[in-house]
Amino acid sequence: MSRVVVLGAGVSGHTAAAFARKWLGRSDTVTVVSPKDYYNWIPSNIWVGVGLMRPEQVTFPLKPVYQRHGIEFVHGAARAIHPEGSSDDPTPHVIVTPTGGASGATVKVPYDYLINATGPRLRFDRTPGLGPEGHSHSVCTEDHAAGAARALAESVERMKRGERQQFVVGVGHGTCTCEGAAFEYIVNLEFELRSRGVRDKADILWLTNEYELGDFGMGGMHFEVGGYVTPSSVFNASLFAERGIEWVTRAHVRQVDPGLIHYETLDGAVREQRADFAMLLPPFSGVGLKAFDRNGGDITASLFQPNEFMKVDADYRPKPYEDWRAGDWPRTYQSPVYRNLFAVGIAFAPPHAISRPFTSPSGAAIAPAPPRTGMPSAMIGKAVARSVVDMIRGAEAPTRTASMAEMGAACVASAGANPLTGTAASMTVFPIVPDFDRYAPYGRDLKRTFGEIGLAGHWIKIILHHLFLYKARLRPGWSLIPE
Amino acid sequence: MSGLKHPYVTSPTRWTVFLRTFLPWQLWRFVRINLKMIGIIRRSH
Ligand SMILES: Cc1cc2nc3c(=O)[nH]c(=O)nc-3n(C[C@H](O)[C@H](O)[C@H](O)COP(=O)(O)OP(=O)(O)OC[C@H]3O[C@@H](n4cnc5c(N)ncnc54)[C@H](O)[C@@H]3O)c2cc1C
Repeated sequence: MSRVVVLGAGVSGHTAAAFARKWLGRSDTVTVVSPKDYYNWIPSNIWVGVGLMRPEQVTFPLKPVYQRHGIEFVHGAARAIHPEGSSDDPTPHVIVTPTGGASGATVKVPYDYLINATGPRLRFDRTPGLGPEGHSHSVCTEDHAAGAARALAESVERMKRGERQQFVVGVGHGTCTCEGAAFEYIVNLEFELRSRGVRDKADILWLTNEYELGDFGMGGMHFEVGGYVTPSSVFNASLFAERGIEWVTRAHVRQVDPGLIHYETLDGAVREQRADFAMLLPPFSGVGLKAFDRNGGDITASLFQPNEFMKVDADYRPKPYEDWRAGDWPRTYQSPVYRNLFAVGIAFAPPHAISRPFTSPSGAAIAPAPPRTGMPSAMIGKAVARSVVDMIRGAEAPTRTASMAEMGAACVASAGANPLTGTAASMTVFPIVPDFDRYAPYGRDLKRTFGEIGLAGHWIKIILHHLFLYKARLRPGWSLIPE
Repeated sequence: MSGLKHPYVTSPTRWTVFLRTFLPWQLWRFVRINLKMIGIIRRSH
């Protein structure tokens, strides 16, 4: 009998747990540990954030689903990994603080194989005044998004009374990632303001750490259009200009005060921006798991990077930006220290930035961190689940690989939700992490990298919303739906 | 003087904007985009 424990019930962890359960025999157990006992289909938080969906439409309780499928659930947050057990018990285990339990109470969850899928910690604390507890909004969780929707409704009321409103959307720190999500939010917001008849009263600004528009932390993309190879910045700027959205690039937000955002840019300028409504995503770090050896010695630094993401089979040797290669990216997601330990989705530490890093004269790093979006997160979760199952059955080493430098991604970014007048940008990119040796000089296969905006994209986005929630509920045939 | 706020930014033609929500064209694009995405998914799995 083997025990597989998955930390986190998001896109990557839920996928890994579901496939591990499907492939393992009944004598083996699969346990999910998560501080939230419900699943959130995060991409649709965008629509919650503009008031088109309620949080209940993008979430569902996990316990009944896990009960039905024989997955054990521990409602709590993992705090520490003991990969060698302790001096009195050599069984590897995780220390978990139960959600809602007495303060200080912990439980020990033993494992034979551990998959860390804890996602990001939302680091609003890195910028004073940033976040729902400060003076800006977020759409990272369904309740943050609901808060943004309430504030948006208030702004709309003000505009209906004749007031002008300044909207600022983007990222709240120079090192943020997930610009794609903020991009979706700003174009949906603009569409909604038009639908509600108040667009003429709104000034909308995109505030980003990207060096150029359309970078998205992936160093941008190139598309073959009309006989030219055109960078994504052209399409992004075009869409913003068409929609009357202004933009500031290369920015690091230093502080958010009520109604005022303080930021600096790469050229050293320090500026202030009025904001009646600000939705600024936070920077991410790992969730701060600790690790201890059998004698209680702290081995956190050997398992995790300083940014708290877990080290896996990537090349983490420091090197100049110009020297990194696609092959530096992990393939099996196995810890180099413990063979029964893996990290998937946002929880694994990327080896380096994809977008070129820059530093302002004041020393602030201003460059997007590499994104790990839904499709690769789920595919990595599935590949690791297969490897773990095969290792339980006797394989010496992981049997599956899922390098982000060898896989593509399909992404649909909503740009306005309406079944007849809405649009979305549909994109495919191959590979996600550019490989400049294989696909010189753009790093990507231009035959497989494309983007277009239109109503068809919106239909696909709606279908994906229902399809992925169906799949996550593990309804009949769920495993046939691709990640 | 240019009447455009961003004269150096590429703009879509009226035809391009029209096609974005023109139902027959979008039905065709729905099929094409799905096929492209399935191709990427198959290559990546
Ligand atoms: C607003 C928004 C829109 C997005 N839109 C898209 C999109 O359109 N397409 C796309 O591909 N991607 C999109 N993304 C990215 C996508 O959501 C992520 O790639 C994906 O959620 C990453 O999956 P994950 O499993 O690594 O992390 P998560 O989904 O964040 O899951 C992490 C899990 O770990 C749990 N956890 C946290 N701490 C602990 C702990 N200590 N112990 C145990 N469990 C813990 C959490 O509760 C959660 O269940 C979007 C992201 C945002 C924020």
